[in-house]
Amino acid sequence: MSSVARTVRPFASRVLAQKPLASTCRAAPAFRFPRGTRTFSQSPLSQLKKYTESHEWIELADGSNTAKIGITEYAAHSLGDVVFVELPEAELEVGAGEPVGAVESVKSASDVLSPVAGKVIRGNEILEDNAKTINASPEGEGWIAEIEVADAAELDALLDEAAYKATIDA
Amino acid sequence: MLVRSCAFTRLNARSQWVRYNSSYPIHRFAELASRPSSRHQIYQSLSTDPYVNLSIEHFLLENAPADSSILFLYINRPCVVIGRNQNPWLETDLRALHNDRRPENKNIHDDAAVYVRRRSGGGAVFHDEGNLNYSVISPRTSFTRDKHAEMVVRALHRAGAVNTSVNVRHDIVMTPGEELQNDPNEPPARKVSGSAFKLTRHRALHHGTCLLDSPNIHDLGRFLRSPARGHIQARGVDSVRSPVGNVSRDMADSFFSMQAVMDNVIEEFARLYEVNSDALLRARRARALEPEIFAGDDWVSGTVGDAHEEQEPRIKKGVDELRSLEWKYTQTPQFTFSTYPIEDDPRERPPLPSSLPPSTRAFLRLKHGAVIESDISFSSNETVASEQATRVHQVLNGQKLHEITFERWVDILQQSLAGTDEATEPAIQELSRYLGDMLGGH
Repeated sequence: MSSVARTVRPFASRVLAQKPLASTCRAAPAFRFPRGTRTFSQSPLSQLKKYTESHEWIELADGSNTAKIGITEYAAHSLGDVVFVELPEAELEVGAGEPVGAVESVKSASDVLSPVAGKVIRGNEILEDNAKTINASPEGEGWIAEIEVADAAELDALLDEAAYKATIDA
Repeated sequence: MLVRSCAFTRLNARSQWVRYNSSYPIHRFAELASRPSSRHQIYQSLSTDPYVNLSIEHFLLENAPADSSILFLYINRPCVVIGRNQNPWLETDLRALHNDRRPENKNIHDDAAVYVRRRSGGGAVFHDEGNLNYSVISPRTSFTRDKHAEMVVRALHRAGAVNTSVNVRHDIVMTPGEELQNDPNEPPARKVSGSAFKLTRHRALHHGTCLLDSPNIHDLGRFLRSPARGHIQARGVDSVRSPVGNVSRDMADSFFSMQAVMDNVIEEFARLYEVNSDALLRARRARALEPEIFAGDDWVSGTVGDAHEEQEPRIKKGVDELRSLEWKYTQTPQFTFSTYPIEDDPRERPPLPSSLPPSTRAFLRLKHGAVIESDISFSSNETVASEQATRVHQVLNGQKLHEITFERWVDILQQSLAGTDEATEPAIQELSRYLGDMLGGH
């Protein structure tokens, strides 16, 4: 029984996942939906946003391979008042786990690591004049970089919201 | 049962003779520091080179095991160290520091203080041989910003400096001793130690200065006062100015020694992290003139030094990066310099030198240390001034400020303005001298 479930589930979730996106697939041929880890109970859209243990989030724009990266509510809160954000330059190629920017708060410099490999499209210019936007809206207006993701399947290996929450509560 | 315990005792006794707690050649430092079992590490540096010490520290941050706790103590030759996101033109007086911007000075080692940009956050500080730097690298999960400043305060109290405490900025301050308490000129507290932090995925680095007995205590402010501070408006991180003091101030000379404070810091670190007593013993004994490294099963301690720059490529890489003019100057967040009020910086400006035509204007906007916008002109006629500014900008655009010497300013201004309204040779020379003096082109 369980072995059947194991073989069926990825296929079924793949089908589920691709359905709402079928119309946009042609427009963005490089885009592949992350597969393999999803269960029936989770909606495909919520899966577009993933987290890392080092408190970054990445959110894939619906139906494309561009993603925004930022730091989580938890990180913004624990770092305190952000006074400066080092933004990446456009065209910068980053590997997974490599810095895609840095945040300074209360005398602390912290690297912001790219959760996946990709190429920087732009840094969030709002932060140049107003670094505190990160504290006000770390997972919204206060995103740090927009990147073109090299392989969207890489997001698969990252934490979903529940798994991330579990790491910070531990 | 009895037999087994006997065997165990014998094994234990023998282990004192085996090389479990023994000396290693110093080229093994990198390997021992990275060893997965090296949970506790204590080092003192014999180097006084700030670039080397910061790079040994960075090596430890990047390469020591994720669950290890490390204490690293070092003393630098005179230098000004600014935070990662600060501006050297605003935070330092480049005229008082070794001029690393002129290529011909590259191999000149004078006594002048050097300029350093560190990798951690925070503000600008001055270091010299009377300033002890402590650095603790530990797991990020158990880290708090006050933990190690409190540790150093306990060490200072044991050295007799009982009037020291940690303030809300995670700095260590000293309240005046009895004889100074009624002095109206004495501030309520003097800062003796400033902290800065660098956080990585798994690790937290906390390093701090500690002014124990600085001979420059009365005029170290001169290194930190930019001639252009009335003209520069900068993004990035501001320094908070504080009155400073030496820990030694309130103590009789006979009671104070730098080494005693270092020993106390080592001891407090060992207590905080429950470090093996052999490690502590070796760390406290490590005073040799030559570097030496000792290690046990789960610890490493000893002295490190300049040799590690050559021995360990990752340390050498760190030193090269910190010494590079790109890191020192072009890492600077965007800023403006202007001799007249502008929208971004409407402050009243100090008057220009009287030797310049009164209609002289100079404005620069810099990104990554390079000119992206400028407005430099002499003429009092608006149209002519605007033409002059356009011509100067054509030459100036994209130039890196740290590469513009006084001579280069003369070149640029001559090339673009010679023969135009008010742009006489003396005026060009004078403006070049003024800009060079303000912006490190001396």
